[in-house]
Amino acid sequence: MTDQEWNTLVSVVRGEALRPLPVGFIIDSPWLPKWAGHTILDYFTDERVFLADNLKAMDSFPSAIMLPGFWSEYGMCTEPSAFGAVSVWEENEFPFANKVLRAPQEVESLEKPNPRKHGLLPFVIKRLKHLQPDIEAKGHKIRFAVARGPLNIATFLMGTTEFLTAIKTDPELMHKLLTLISEFLVDWIEYQRECFPSIDGVLLLDDIVGFISRRDCETFALPYLKKAFSADVTIKFFHNDAPCKACAPLLPQAGINLLNFGIQHTLAEMKQWTGNQMALLGNIPPRDVLAAGTPDDVVRSVTDMLNSLEDHSRIIVSCGGGMPPGAPTENINALILAVSELTRQAAVS
Amino acid sequence: MDDLASLRDAIVKGDAAAAVVEARKILDQGTDAVRIVSEGISPAMAEVGRLFEECEYFVPELLVSARATKEVFQLLRPVLAQTGAKPKGHVVLGTVQGDLHDIGKNLVAAMLEGGGFEVFDLGVDVPPQKFVVAVREKQAEIVGLSALLTTTLPAMRITVDAFRSAGIRDQIKVMVGGAPVTKSYAESIGADGYGENAAASVQLALRLIGA
Repeated sequence: MTDQEWNTLVSVVRGEALRPLPVGFIIDSPWLPKWAGHTILDYFTDERVFLADNLKAMDSFPSAIMLPGFWSEYGMCTEPSAFGAVSVWEENEFPFANKVLRAPQEVESLEKPNPRKHGLLPFVIKRLKHLQPDIEAKGHKIRFAVARGPLNIATFLMGTTEFLTAIKTDPELMHKLLTLISEFLVDWIEYQRECFPSIDGVLLLDDIVGFISRRDCETFALPYLKKAFSADVTIKFFHNDAPCKACAPLLPQAGINLLNFGIQHTLAEMKQWTGNQMALLGNIPPRDVLAAGTPDDVVRSVTDMLNSLEDHSRIIVSCGGGMPPGAPTENINALILAVSELTRQAAVS
Repeated sequence: MDDLASLRDAIVKGDAAAAVVEARKILDQGTDAVRIVSEGISPAMAEVGRLFEECEYFVPELLVSARATKEVFQLLRPVLAQTGAKPKGHVVLGTVQGDLHDIGKNLVAAMLEGGGFEVFDLGVDVPPQKFVVAVREKQAEIVGLSALLTTTLPAMRITVDAFRSAGIRDQIKVMVGGAPVTKSYAESIGADGYGENAAASVQLALRLIGA
């Protein structure tokens, strides 16, 4: 991410009204390698492919902020691998992490991983370390420490059905599990910051937070999100594209000041539920419009969305969730151009 | 007096132990097992579905109610088999090939079972031929396909095509669901029904079999 892009993010988070509105996308392995002409497995295993694909996206869409910027990831396997999860790889499919815990009681014997040594985490760091000179030569810096969130990791360690059942049947054990995971996340985020002092943001991704009630969110999500977001950084960025009406009012309490959410809710609704305390990244339908629609569909969707929103502060225009697989270049350009033309001046027509 | 009220209450609250105790008590009192299903379990799960649709219940609440239902069914199944009682329909259910996510499928299985259907859960990463074999073996009227990843959506189309190639497409109704699935996608692959969430699956299944 360039300094200018970072400063734009900070301005939006602080509530400055920018004209035109900024555009940003979370980009990662579900979209980027295939768009750039590579397989997912090549993207994960070949540093040159990783660098080239990320730079291609940034060069192709210079007016958009690619978030979090050079995200060094191995899909959903990254953090579970540190706990001993076996990762399953296909040439061109999303990798998957197998369960580690067969029953809630096995939480008692789970140990906190060391991010310097365990699973794929050293590979995450080394990839960026190797590429850092090239990244910085292009005017970019690593700005975000990134991780999956505590509930997301718990579901990969136990199984989604099993974890969401166990918060009802074995709540104390699930608290133990989430405590261990969030303590690990603090270490992992701190290690990323230590390796890259330019980091001044944390991005956590956790859709599972959207699957639970407000009461369960207060009990099983908020304390652990607070802990995971406890680093002293300027931007605390959360992704959850499951329904999040229940958890939305609580997210500012975790220190979150930038939220990417799904299409179940509008920008206006999310502003209201969060008391306009967080910048919002969204909210064009990712699959039906940005990926599968025409450029005209994208323009219509952007226009309708912006016209329906009175307050354009704390908004970065994007799709709901991350960049969807298959989103074509022309649709992304249509979105960027539409936002620029519609929001260059004070009134949107 | 409503002798099934406590059973329904236990299922709605997700208290599996209490539900089994109640079911055993009611059976011992001579209550017909079919009635326990139709007036106990089914309305309880319908209530759970309503609470989910109204965002009072979320996935964990659905899961523990489903668990309670499952344990009561384990008690009732031998008795039901003796009565020769027939389920409302037979459903073969699975997550499509390449997809290892089971949460959506598990919720749908629970709702359908609670709604009086017999469910044959094939698990995750199910190849099309496995669905075909199961439909033939179980004489299923409905097939439920689940996918949680955009990249595994094409496997739904391939599976529906496999039914056609196997000559069984006209014998079954196909219902699809999962996070990336939309109504328009369901129509484009020739599915008979699309469920926006698990709570809607029982009404959808009943509609598909014309009940």
